Amino acid sequence: MVQIVVSSARAGGLAEWVLMELQGEIEARYSTGLAGNLLGDLHYTTEGTPVLIVGHHILYGKIIHLEKPFAVLVKHTPGDQYCDELGRETGTRYLVTALIKDKILFKTRPKPIITNVPKKV
Amino acid sequence: MEDYEQELCGVEDDFHSQFAAELEVLAELEGASTPSPSGVPLSIAGRPPQMFEEALARGDVASRPAPAVSLGSSQGRAGKRQVDSDLQPAGSLPHEPQTLLRPPILEDYVHVTSTEGVRAYLVLRADPVATGVQSPLLHVPWRGGGQLDLLGVSFASLKEQVDGERRERLLQEWLKLWDLVVFGHERPSRKPRPSVEPARVSREATAPGKWKSHEQMLEEMLEAGLDPSQRPRQKVALLCGPPGLGKTTLAHVIARHAGYSVVEMNASDDRSPEAFRTRIEAATQMESVLGAGGKPNCLVIDEIEGAPVAAINVLLSILNRKGPQEAEPQGPAVGGLLMRPIICICNDQFAPSLRQLKQQAFLLHFPPTLPSRLVQIDPGVLAALCEKTDNDIRACINTLQFLYSRGQRELSVRDVQATRVGLKDQRRGLFSVWQEVFQLLRAQRRRVGQDPALPADTLLLGDGDAGSLTSAWQRFYRVLHAAASAGEHEKVVQGLFDNFLRLRLRDSSLGALCAALDWLAFDVLLAGAAHHSQSFQLLPYPPFLPLAFHVLFASGHTPRITFPSSQQEAQNRMSQMRNLIQTLVSGIAPAMRSRATPQALLLDALCLLLDILAPKLRPVSTQPYSTREKQQLASLVGTMLPNVEELCRFPELPARKPLTYQAKQLIAREIEVEKMRRAEASAQAQNSPQVDGSSPGLERLLRGSGEKGVCRPAPRNHEQRLEHIMRRAVREEQPERDFFGRVVVRSTAAPSAGDTASEQDSVERRMGTAVGRSEVWFRFNEGVSNAVRRRLYIRDLL
Repeated sequence: MVQIVVSSARAGGLAEWVLMELQGEIEARYSTGLAGNLLGDLHYTTEGTPVLIVGHHILYGKIIHLEKPFAVLVKHTPGDQYCDELGRETGTRYLVTALIKDKILFKTRPKPIITNVPKKV
Repeated sequence: MEDYEQELCGVEDDFHSQFAAELEVLAELEGASTPSPSGVPLSIAGRPPQMFEEALARGDVASRPAPAVSLGSSQGRAGKRQVDSDLQPAGSLPHEPQTLLRPPILEDYVHVTSTEGVRAYLVLRADPVATGVQSPLLHVPWRGGGQLDLLGVSFASLKEQVDGERRERLLQEWLKLWDLVVFGHERPSRKPRPSVEPARVSREATAPGKWKSHEQMLEEMLEAGLDPSQRPRQKVALLCGPPGLGKTTLAHVIARHAGYSVVEMNASDDRSPEAFRTRIEAATQMESVLGAGGKPNCLVIDEIEGAPVAAINVLLSILNRKGPQEAEPQGPAVGGLLMRPIICICNDQFAPSLRQLKQQAFLLHFPPTLPSRLVQIDPGVLAALCEKTDNDIRACINTLQFLYSRGQRELSVRDVQATRVGLKDQRRGLFSVWQEVFQLLRAQRRRVGQDPALPADTLLLGDGDAGSLTSAWQRFYRVLHAAASAGEHEKVVQGLFDNFLRLRLRDSSLGALCAALDWLAFDVLLAGAAHHSQSFQLLPYPPFLPLAFHVLFASGHTPRITFPSSQQEAQNRMSQMRNLIQTLVSGIAPAMRSRATPQALLLDALCLLLDILAPKLRPVSTQPYSTREKQQLASLVGTMLPNVEELCRFPELPARKPLTYQAKQLIAREIEVEKMRRAEASAQAQNSPQVDGSSPGLERLLRGSGEKGVCRPAPRNHEQRLEHIMRRAVREEQPERDFFGRVVVRSTAAPSAGDTASEQDSVERRMGTAVGRSEVWFRFNEGVSNAVRRRLYIRDLL
């Protein structure tokens, strides 16, 4: 039987992460790829509505509390770990690094931001 | 006669008793050796037909007027006989059989024919015990003052021969429709008509036609009944016709007969709108305290076509007032409904001020009478009188009365000619004036009567025999009078000018034409002098022009006269040409303009220019033209833009070889194309010198719209158009101009404000660029993505 061991990474409390859900795709403008680039800014309005600014789009979203929270697992393969006392080959182990209890959902169409409006059209 | 009697002795009828008088006369006729004196001089004998006085004394009026007794006319012998027997119950007449061989003019008569065909006439005399139905019209004193019976003229015979019976009946029926509102009693159901009715009906039936006569339509309108407020549908009656036919009398008589007291308003009253309204409301809503004996008022408005239009509008507004339940709540200031009938009288039903009134009124038309109806015998003195007064009954009767009151008992032709008859002023229509000028009526050659405008002193000239001037002079004065009484002299002259060439000329030397043209020139001179120097004492002379035309051109047959339009056309053409020249001249550069005054241009240069320009173009399309021809065409088009050819088309010049129709079309098309090209070129010249300063944000807007399925090249079109719009928008920011059109250079005043403003601007710009220059883009996916399935294998987890 297959057994997958999930264990907690640290003894203390786990981190709390927030999930951001976008309805669409994120692309890189240049061919360098997405890695290391700034996605955008996340702000909250006074009522608590999250606002995301990506490029020249602005998205409004809402915070949803998850009924079934997610856990962030990191996979550890046996090659990297020290061996167990039993001497068996330890299988892959998943370590929980964070929990996700809320998510921010952006499902509306983004609005463009226009910064240069001529005086007379 | 005796044979006949013998044959019929078995038959019992009251023939003898009925026709006792006639039989007597017949016996007398056939027994008499010499006929009774004939050729009785006409006597205006003062024996009053006692019918009138009897009717007056009796004061007993039938409720429905039977049609007036038609004596003396040979319409229904049965009706006549009945009247006869009414008036002459057997045996009670004093027998002075006045048998005449000619019918008496002034008295009622009856004719009797013997078997030989001799006709004799019996004078009817009034009978104190007469039981015949009388027309109620007779007992009213004639409006001209004094009682008619003094004259002995048979008013009844005159009146009925005018054949107003039907009209009177219609008016009376209309007036009766008001009974419900005014008197409060129901309108009686229509009684069966008297016996004359079938005769009339049959007469109508014999002249069928699809078109209803006006009277029939009126009858139907009357039968249409009342409107919701119990008043008749047409609240005002309008009587129209030439003067002197008895319209006003009719209105008065009928109103009085129906039980109203008449309030009259005519041309001598103040008819401004306020006064009008006051008087109408006074008449229809109030009663007079004295007199009138409690009778309701009926308003008779005379000569209504002379009232100002505002006054007629007041009348219309009063007519159209609705009751309180129908109209909008306006309060008591509006005034009540019209509760009394109004009768209006006019002379000319086509007057423009009456147009609206006519649509709402019960219209009764009084056609002018023919002289043959007034006098039933060969033209005698009365015919002369009628002709002189232009068939105006009132004038006739007034004249007779006048003569009688001066002591004259006999009337002869001479007297008729010599009296001056007062006629009512009337405008003659244009067409009648033209007819008068150009046509020589046959009857004029035998004219007996005379023109009223004849000055009295000419009548007294010469001996008694020359009292009648020659017919030429009569014509002269008649035409002069007609010309002077026509309102618009200019129109008359224009009509004459247009039509005088269409007549048949009598002389072949055209001298008449020359004379006519001279007269026209004279007329123009006169008018110019009169108006220019305001010497209006020249104004009696222009009417002599139609007279001259009459003398030169009048002939016996009827000319066909058209309304003049040549003046208008000539004026239009002149103004058109002037405009063309103006446009041409304005297009010339000022250096040349000094040499090209419009007059010189037109007369000298343009015609010849056209000759020079006209190329020989082949009538094919432009493509196969050789280069030379194309050059020619281009040069022609270049110079030809205004409509030069129109200007040069003088009718008198010999027609130079005109351009063919195809050539003209070709040239016209080329001109259009050239115009379009030039317009485009000038428009383009405005577009090009603008620098392309589109903002970067614009491009991003267009490209990053992020829609699925938008292909790449499409945004470029968008771009283009939007860029164009942007460019144009930016372009329109013109520098400010002051009042004189100079560009205002803004000096840098208030530097501090400018600095902060510029700072803010730069911050925004920086933000904008930051926003615009991020490396990550987001592409939105349309649709819901709740259920996205992916396959996951365990071996990937391990």
